[in-house]
Amino acid sequence: MTAATAPSDGAPAPPAPGSGRRRVTFPVVGMSCAACASRIQRQLATTPGVRDAAVNFGTTKATVELDGAQPRDVMEAVREAGYDVGTDAIAVAVADLRSAPDPSRLERAIRAVRGVVAAVANPAAESVRVTYVPGFLDPRDVEEAVAAAGFVLAAPVAEGDPVERERLVREREVRDLTGKLVLAAVVAVAAMVASMPLMGAEAVGSADLLARVLMPLDAALRRGLPWLYALDPQSLKIALFVATVPVMAWSGRGFYVSAWRGFQHRSADMNTLIGVGTAAAMLYSAAATFTPSVFTGAGLPADVYYEAVSAIIALILLGRLLESRAKGRTSEAMRRLLGLAPRTARALREGVEVEIPAAEVVVGDIVLVRPGEKIPVDGVVRGGRTAVDESMLTGEPMPVAKTAGDEVVGATLNTTGAITIEATRVGRDTALAQIVRLVEEAQGSRAPVQRLADRIAGVFVPVVIAVAIAAFVVWFDVGPSPAPVYATVVFVSVLIIACPCAMGLATPTAIMVGAGRGAERGVLAKGGSALEAAAGVDVIVLDKTGTITEGRPAVTDVLSALETVDRTASGPPAEPEAAMLRLAAAVERLSEHPLAAAIVAAAAERGLDLPEATGFRAHEGRGATATIGGHAVAVGSATFLIDLGVDVGPFTDAVDNLAARARTPVLVAVNGAPAGLIGLADPIKPSAVAAVRAFRAMGLEVLLVTGDIRKVAIAVAGEVGIDDVESGMLPAGKVAVIKRLQEAGRRVAMVGDGINDAPALATADVGLAIGTGTDVAVEAADIALMSGDLRTAVTALELARRTMRVIRQNLFWAFAYNVVGIPVAAGLLYPVAGVLLSPVFASAAMAFSSVFVVTNSLRLRRFTPSLAD
Amino acid sequence: MTLSKAVVTVAGLVAAVWVLWYFLATPRPARTRGGQPR
Repeated sequence: MTAATAPSDGAPAPPAPGSGRRRVTFPVVGMSCAACASRIQRQLATTPGVRDAAVNFGTTKATVELDGAQPRDVMEAVREAGYDVGTDAIAVAVADLRSAPDPSRLERAIRAVRGVVAAVANPAAESVRVTYVPGFLDPRDVEEAVAAAGFVLAAPVAEGDPVERERLVREREVRDLTGKLVLAAVVAVAAMVASMPLMGAEAVGSADLLARVLMPLDAALRRGLPWLYALDPQSLKIALFVATVPVMAWSGRGFYVSAWRGFQHRSADMNTLIGVGTAAAMLYSAAATFTPSVFTGAGLPADVYYEAVSAIIALILLGRLLESRAKGRTSEAMRRLLGLAPRTARALREGVEVEIPAAEVVVGDIVLVRPGEKIPVDGVVRGGRTAVDESMLTGEPMPVAKTAGDEVVGATLNTTGAITIEATRVGRDTALAQIVRLVEEAQGSRAPVQRLADRIAGVFVPVVIAVAIAAFVVWFDVGPSPAPVYATVVFVSVLIIACPCAMGLATPTAIMVGAGRGAERGVLAKGGSALEAAAGVDVIVLDKTGTITEGRPAVTDVLSALETVDRTASGPPAEPEAAMLRLAAAVERLSEHPLAAAIVAAAAERGLDLPEATGFRAHEGRGATATIGGHAVAVGSATFLIDLGVDVGPFTDAVDNLAARARTPVLVAVNGAPAGLIGLADPIKPSAVAAVRAFRAMGLEVLLVTGDIRKVAIAVAGEVGIDDVESGMLPAGKVAVIKRLQEAGRRVAMVGDGINDAPALATADVGLAIGTGTDVAVEAADIALMSGDLRTAVTALELARRTMRVIRQNLFWAFAYNVVGIPVAAGLLYPVAGVLLSPVFASAAMAFSSVFVVTNSLRLRRFTPSLAD
Repeated sequence: MTLSKAVVTVAGLVAAVWVLWYFLATPRPARTRGGQPR
């Protein structure tokens, strides 16, 4: 339903859907393997208006970037691929619905909202049950639709808690799988016992590994359950058939449905292998049971393999169950993050203090926060003063002082004083919600290495089917007697052992666990590709300001055009310095540069009131110009002033002098004439030295790039132990340095924080935005570091390397297992060692390989950075 | 037995080739995430 079908009763249409590009993540149901994910992804990517699509089997979620496509189109594309979009339902409380004359009008209005699948009014409960697709729905649209239809909400519309929803889905899956597994396992064990008497001496048994194991069991059973051996073999076979049918029809139903869906779309996956394998075993056994004369007439034993069918299904379900539980554990990190937010808030409503759920706080609410309480939402302090522990956000253990006008972030801890805050961002707009979204996107994204695994799996399955058929033919033609029996066993075993599920799980599970663990350590990777790129870097480029240094420089020297006065040495400056600083500060007040803030702060410290500046222009990385009282004032680097035609000659010595002491000189010119010089210094972060040493230890080349002048850059680099320095770099220059390295075949990581670093962060193979950074830098980066501590960058690279190592191990084992398993299952060892693999053994080995891969990925949960705080 | 072997061999060969053709030889849509640079 689109906006065009909105009720015609004068209600305004909901906000135009699809306006601009939008990234949405929504659940997909029915996926049973990695190949399903790539099938849906292909379908989505070819949908008009979808720019980018990534489907993750691990999280069972799809992320699409919509560029014109409607949610409806996306849902249809998913259904077209043979799957469905997961939905959720909420009850929207509407006041006086009981007495409303026409609730269906409300239903229609809500149904017109983007993301809503169904809306059913329940007048008795005064609520509307809204079924929607998570990710597409904006609760505010529902609120607007309700209001537009002339109804009043009894409570704000809140989307269900995504983590809770996922937990419920997972729980349902585990319950469902457990039930199916129990049936399959019980039948499998019973069938194995009951098959013993059927395994005559003439059976294929002697070559079968499993049969060798079972031989002593057979003897014991003969003694323990003699009645079983007294039963008529034909009745026993029919009983086994009857018991196996429900296992296939219920426990194994998913495999056959998925295999058939895949077949219709010309794609084959592990379900195809399991489906064809078990179906072949079942058909052969059924034929042997009901038309034994066909077999005996040809001189063949009428053997049955019912126990194999049930055991294969049971073992694969066991693998799925373990996998599902492991996947549940990987989302723990997210649960912990969300758990940081307080549940309730003390808001001031009509002058009265009321305790309300934190989700119901709206922008503009005044909220009271007592000492020891967590701040419920993002806001601005309106009253009181306190210190706030923001370690959850930044990793910095020191509480930060906050007074009226300061911003506070939801889920941080108020320590010493009571404050009142005005809510500025609530719900999905808070900093915490954004962090959670970043993690979710990262966990749901696909690493490039995953694409390789998908491509292999897509080719692999048809090839395996062909190999199984070939093995069947060879055994049938030249195998030992009874050839058809051996041929069938080999055919089924090859299909079962070759299931590529371990390959499909290798990457997503590792990325999920790695990204989750990173979030706990203050490293937010924006996707699997970010981790993969970070693992492969060999050069790390560090920005100076804000990355190695605190980024909050302070004015140390003020020099006028006439004389030089060191502020710290000679006390209050003479009149010309104050006048010059006043003009510089008036210009810099309009700039975002950290040096500008220091100059403004220095002016404020001296109690200078700043005049109005007009026509402000920032010249990135170089300086700024403005007009003050008719005078053209320029503030910036020496090269900037030279470019403006200012003769900086009088200051050359002073500039060199400052630079030699690692201080940054900023020149001021008025009406094209040099007016003064301001010296600034920026203290080095205590963590920088250890971080640089750690980068070296990791075998990385460390490079410092800065917009600052060479002498300052070298002084700072020397202090932290960096040899390579590129100074005087504009944003474009930093990009050029990175490009040059890349052209030389190097893979470059860039750590930066400022707007001026954003282009370099985006250019580098992997950009790391350091915690204290601007939104632009965080946006441009691949990995956001929550703290300003440079050691977090070390942690990020270590985590990335560890994650990639786990992925490579996973892929290696999954592949090696197939390389070894398939020839054995095809009977290659039979001529030399007389060993054949039973289908039951094959399925156990297959389940083990999946569990091994998932367990290996879970090891990442124990990752600890080498540099402890 | 030789006749049945011949039949199985031919049928198996045809089936194996058909499986490979059916699943692999279909023109596939362009790959997703087609490397649009950021």
